[in-house]
Amino acid sequence: MATPNPDEIEDDAARGAGTVRARLVRTLSRPRTALGVTMGPGTVWIAGLLVAPLVFMLAVSFTTTNLTDYNIIWEPTLARFRELLGGSVDAGLLDGGSVVLLEVGSFQLRATAFEKAILLSYAIATVTTLLCLALAFPLAYLLARRSGPLVKATIFLMLLPFFTMYLVRAYSWVLMFGSKGVINSALGAVGVGPLEVFNYGVPATIVGLTHAYYPYMLLTLYASMDGLDFSLVEAARDLGASRIDVIRDQIIPLTMPGIVGGSLFVFVPSVGAFITPQILGQGKVQMVGILIERWVYESRLSLASAGSMFVVVSIVAAMVLAFRYVELDELGGA
Amino acid sequence: MLQDDNGTGSGVSTGNGRSRGRRIDRRTYLAGAGAAGLAAAAGCTGNGGGGGTTINILTWEEFREMEENIEETLDVSINIEASASSSTMFQRWNQGADEEFDVVVPNNNLVPRFLESELIAPVDTNAVTNYGGIYDKFQQFVDQQFTRDGNAYGVPIRWGWYGYSYDTRSVPEHDPSYQVVFEDDYVDADLSGNIVMYDEANKTMPVAALYLAEARDDPSYREALEGEEMTFSEEQINEMQDLLVEQKSRLQGYISKDPRFISGFTQGNFLVGHSGRNETIEMRTSGEDWVEFVVPQEGAMAWYETAVVSAASDDTEAAWEVVNEFIAPENGAALARAGFSPSCNPDVADQLTEEQNELYGRISPERLEEFIPLKDIADDVEREYSNAWNNVKAA
Repeated sequence: MATPNPDEIEDDAARGAGTVRARLVRTLSRPRTALGVTMGPGTVWIAGLLVAPLVFMLAVSFTTTNLTDYNIIWEPTLARFRELLGGSVDAGLLDGGSVVLLEVGSFQLRATAFEKAILLSYAIATVTTLLCLALAFPLAYLLARRSGPLVKATIFLMLLPFFTMYLVRAYSWVLMFGSKGVINSALGAVGVGPLEVFNYGVPATIVGLTHAYYPYMLLTLYASMDGLDFSLVEAARDLGASRIDVIRDQIIPLTMPGIVGGSLFVFVPSVGAFITPQILGQGKVQMVGILIERWVYESRLSLASAGSMFVVVSIVAAMVLAFRYVELDELGGA
Repeated sequence: MLQDDNGTGSGVSTGNGRSRGRRIDRRTYLAGAGAAGLAAAAGCTGNGGGGGTTINILTWEEFREMEENIEETLDVSINIEASASSSTMFQRWNQGADEEFDVVVPNNNLVPRFLESELIAPVDTNAVTNYGGIYDKFQQFVDQQFTRDGNAYGVPIRWGWYGYSYDTRSVPEHDPSYQVVFEDDYVDADLSGNIVMYDEANKTMPVAALYLAEARDDPSYREALEGEEMTFSEEQINEMQDLLVEQKSRLQGYISKDPRFISGFTQGNFLVGHSGRNETIEMRTSGEDWVEFVVPQEGAMAWYETAVVSAASDDTEAAWEVVNEFIAPENGAALARAGFSPSCNPDVADQLTEEQNELYGRISPERLEEFIPLKDIADDVEREYSNAWNNVKAA
């Protein structure tokens, strides 16, 4: 048998490789293939891990769970939604239930545990978002106007909590709050405490959530303000606008995408918060995530699914409202 | 056959028709692959510690303390997976883990669910030779809660009970009563905002029932706790809910995990806490001698963990032999020391020191009469019961 020339083998290999590469480039150049390669994995991922579970959850929300063996009975029913809303779907929200929502003199507004939990969650998430916004806005403005090592150090310090586990951050507040916590002990030492507001409960939960989600707001606002043309601010000031006028008429409208984006990043996870209210609410603050988790623990999966669907739909509605004011691609930058 | 030999199917060939060394026929390959697979599976299931039989157990962390001794005694391999919740144990088994595990050790109130779902096998009385040694009271509980057609389906392993503990530095001595957690003026101390309750319906709702039974001189609340399951009426559930809602403003909070109870109590965040006895013993063992645990005059709920064996187990006899070891004196003592909870076998006390016996080892059989075992709520009021607790938490 004749021995092949090594150079010929290399040439053949190079031609072969060139052919394969050319064929690959041609294949990938086709629009459908390019679309499949770029969007395919993401689509499969979203379909398998987001859409499919959501569809399953939606289906389960219209079923009943057998409370003896915890199996799902696959017969369509609206009973779980009735249970959420106080007995009757037709009655709608806040038209029944065993929990006092509001009491003024002899007037009482009653709700179901779920209705109260979801309203409480929205209230806590709203306050948390406003607090994050109020605290992050001035700092983001300052960081956008200044540059240098101080800015970098500040951003690093703001991100520092991210380097610790969320659970650890929540637990760090346990020592601060409580009747014998650091805050009340310090207040007691100077003769003004202990104060109820620094016990575990809603205020402690809001502080914990604000601490947890503040960086999301700060970074989004900073990204938005960093692209701001500050000569407009100076022009407005030259033309006689007060500082308040400039903030109201120039800065806020120009940074609105950042405000909306940051608010979404804080509001959405705050509504479904579970760990922080569990730890800092000391079991007395029943946000919707905690209620749904208990239903799962009790294996009332149909009710938990119905409650979750309610939360998903309400959050999507809030996002649709938000996107009336900003475009998706504007979030995070002006 | 030729096709496989040439490498298009089996994967042992190089793919170009040339074998890499000795040719392997399909039969040899399959046998080898099967052996390798079995070896790998055995590795995954943890085989290799003791003898040829492996018993997979889903149970509480402290059970690991007995693992080595049981393996030596029975010449079996034990593979323990820890769980922190009886409900989770049931859910997993109900979703197919009964094929994976031979033994599970849930709290007694969950055993009827395992039984109703036909997941467990009757006790092999020939294998569980220590069964006759456990307290008579627990044998009665077994008869009451999970015996069907004359067959018992579980073996009580260890137990404990709930009452309340208080900080003796701030709360004066008093007659033990749940009034302390429901009434403002029961003791001469300001307890508002200084009380915690368990964050679990099945532990806190019965406290309300026991209190109402005494406060209203209405024994029906207690009677509802004493059957095979809790049989409260809807009206009673509403009364319990109202009581707990009214109590809520006096609470510092609800606590779900023992470590949080201990850290909160030690930190001084509350003065009175609805608790299990073992948490208090753990605190006293750590030097916190200011904490006092009492059993209220209204009565107390008790828990006991119960070992059951899967009906799908390949070796139920070996599984029951392992369960038998859980209540053997030496192993039971190791478990008691790890969890500060007494064994259901009183002979275990002989293996403990005098101090350990005083804290959690030796319990007079008469004391057992004070306790009511935890149990599930009756099916017909389960939603009402669960909703009542949700309402309490939402109030």
